[in-house]
Amino acid sequence: MKEKIKAAFLSMKRFEAMEVVKEAIKSGEDPFSILNACREAMDEVGKRFETGEFFLSELIYSAEVFKQVSDILEPRLLENLDEADSQGVVVFGTPLGDIHDLGKNLVITVMRSQGFTIHDLGVDVPPEKFIDEIQRTNAPILAMSALITPAFVSMKEVISLLKEKGLRERTFVIIGGGVTTEFARKEVGADAQTMDPTEAIRLCKAFINRSKSAIL
Amino acid sequence: MIQETMSRQERFEAVVALEKPDRVPVMPLMTAFAVRAQGLTQGEGWREPEKGFKAMLDTFNDLGGFDKLYKPNLFWPMIGGKFCATPVRVKIPGRQLPEDALNQIDERELISREDYDKIAAVGWNAFWDEHYEIMSGGRPIERLRASQNRLLDEYIREVEICQSQDIYPLFGAYVDSSIMAYSMARTLPQFTMDLYEVPDKVKAAMDATCDDLIQNALDVIALTKIPLVFIVLERGSGFYYRLDIFEQFEWPYLKRYVDAFIAEGLTVWFHFDTDWSLNLPYLKQLPKGKCVADLDSTTDIFKAKEILGGHMCISGDVPASLLSLGTPEDVRKYCQRLIDEVGRGGGFFLTTGCECPVDAKFENVKMMIDVAKTYKGKD
Repeated sequence: MKEKIKAAFLSMKRFEAMEVVKEAIKSGEDPFSILNACREAMDEVGKRFETGEFFLSELIYSAEVFKQVSDILEPRLLENLDEADSQGVVVFGTPLGDIHDLGKNLVITVMRSQGFTIHDLGVDVPPEKFIDEIQRTNAPILAMSALITPAFVSMKEVISLLKEKGLRERTFVIIGGGVTTEFARKEVGADAQTMDPTEAIRLCKAFINRSKSAIL
Repeated sequence: MIQETMSRQERFEAVVALEKPDRVPVMPLMTAFAVRAQGLTQGEGWREPEKGFKAMLDTFNDLGGFDKLYKPNLFWPMIGGKFCATPVRVKIPGRQLPEDALNQIDERELISREDYDKIAAVGWNAFWDEHYEIMSGGRPIERLRASQNRLLDEYIREVEICQSQDIYPLFGAYVDSSIMAYSMARTLPQFTMDLYEVPDKVKAAMDATCDDLIQNALDVIALTKIPLVFIVLERGSGFYYRLDIFEQFEWPYLKRYVDAFIAEGLTVWFHFDTDWSLNLPYLKQLPKGKCVADLDSTTDIFKAKEILGGHMCISGDVPASLLSLGTPEDVRKYCQRLIDEVGRGGGFFLTTGCECPVDAKFENVKMMIDVAKTYKGKD
């Protein structure tokens, strides 16, 4: 099953992937191991994207397949995934003034496929809502995506509120999207910036690992 | 100030033809920025075209004038119902968005996968004649035609006024590339799925679309009388797709566009949003000195110069983040570097990377223009 799923993901064969998953469910395979097989396949897609063998289109395609496979798998199974098993908890959104979500949604799907727990606040998110969600979920990572510059003002405000609430030190702030640059990262005061979904995962994992090492 | 020996038009024509101008021509691609610069809300600019037009002219003059005016108003010229681009849903400030928000595309599926066959059978224009009302939730295409024709008349009138004041709007018509048109019609994820799952259907629809899009653009230019066509490209780049997809679904149609437009004596402006680095070598197959590669700051413009220098004029690419967050000194340094490196030997047009952001600092945009007028470069 594992190999078939991987082969279907890597050859961009959505229907084959769905078929294998349905068959596996029918034959009583543990939904967690099916999910893990899909995650491993997505991990391989991500690696090939990083080396340049795959393009963004392959990431988009396989993310869609992953989303559809996730829909087939028992939704309660996904909901019941313990956040303690998560690779990391992330509050994600497009800041106030910007309603674009294609990039955000892609990154969210790829991150979920890699075991991150994402709290997606959607688009046009007011700064206070980001803060409330970070406080509610205790998420150590805040990700904001933007396609237009008015979002910079909102990003700055979110980061200023994080400071005001004493949350800045423990929150890794990553920004991405068409209009973001390293220059913008410095100006808004974020910790990282990227246009690349797999790099976003790498940066978030590195932060989580650093935090864990610090605790140990 | 550099002693000017060319008119604005001559300067632009010189860089397109890869000649060395008296100074580097300059243009911020401004729309929403101009509205805000005049103290208007974006909603006012959209509701009252007269105010939008005045904002463009006043901001042009407040900035000291420059070589081309991107657009005389916020809207795009089009003959009613003859779409030069996919009729995307745009959220308008003061209507679906707050009064002073930026207008934004609300990307959703406007056509289904089954519609590829219909388009392949009847062509782009005939398809929308029938489909527009269904897609728009019951808005008759006649209503749209009337409103687009009104705006086109307005555009033509504004172009004439501009030209009488030695101000030259950039383009006579705009047109989506094939991938841009279908990616916006299907959405990026769905279109990407289509490319892998039903490539023949996509190709057949694109084959049946190309001539209509070319003709629609030519028909607009026959009325606006500005001999430049602005091709909107964002979704077909190597940022998204491997080159075999580009070669199959974007490049053949772009070549047909270029052949048709150059045959009509037009300049072809490629508005390349996203990173086109991988695709740039293809552009060397196009006629020399007839097109402009307009980069948005995600393509490495300095590498682009290495590839396209001496073959195609390059336009760009002061980043939006620099204009909205940077200082005039940041802008000065970057523009001088562009003039030194990309402007070397001619064939360079200093512009904003994509549109000038709505919240760009006025002094930053002014600095960009002033650098072009005062800095000769190391060349």
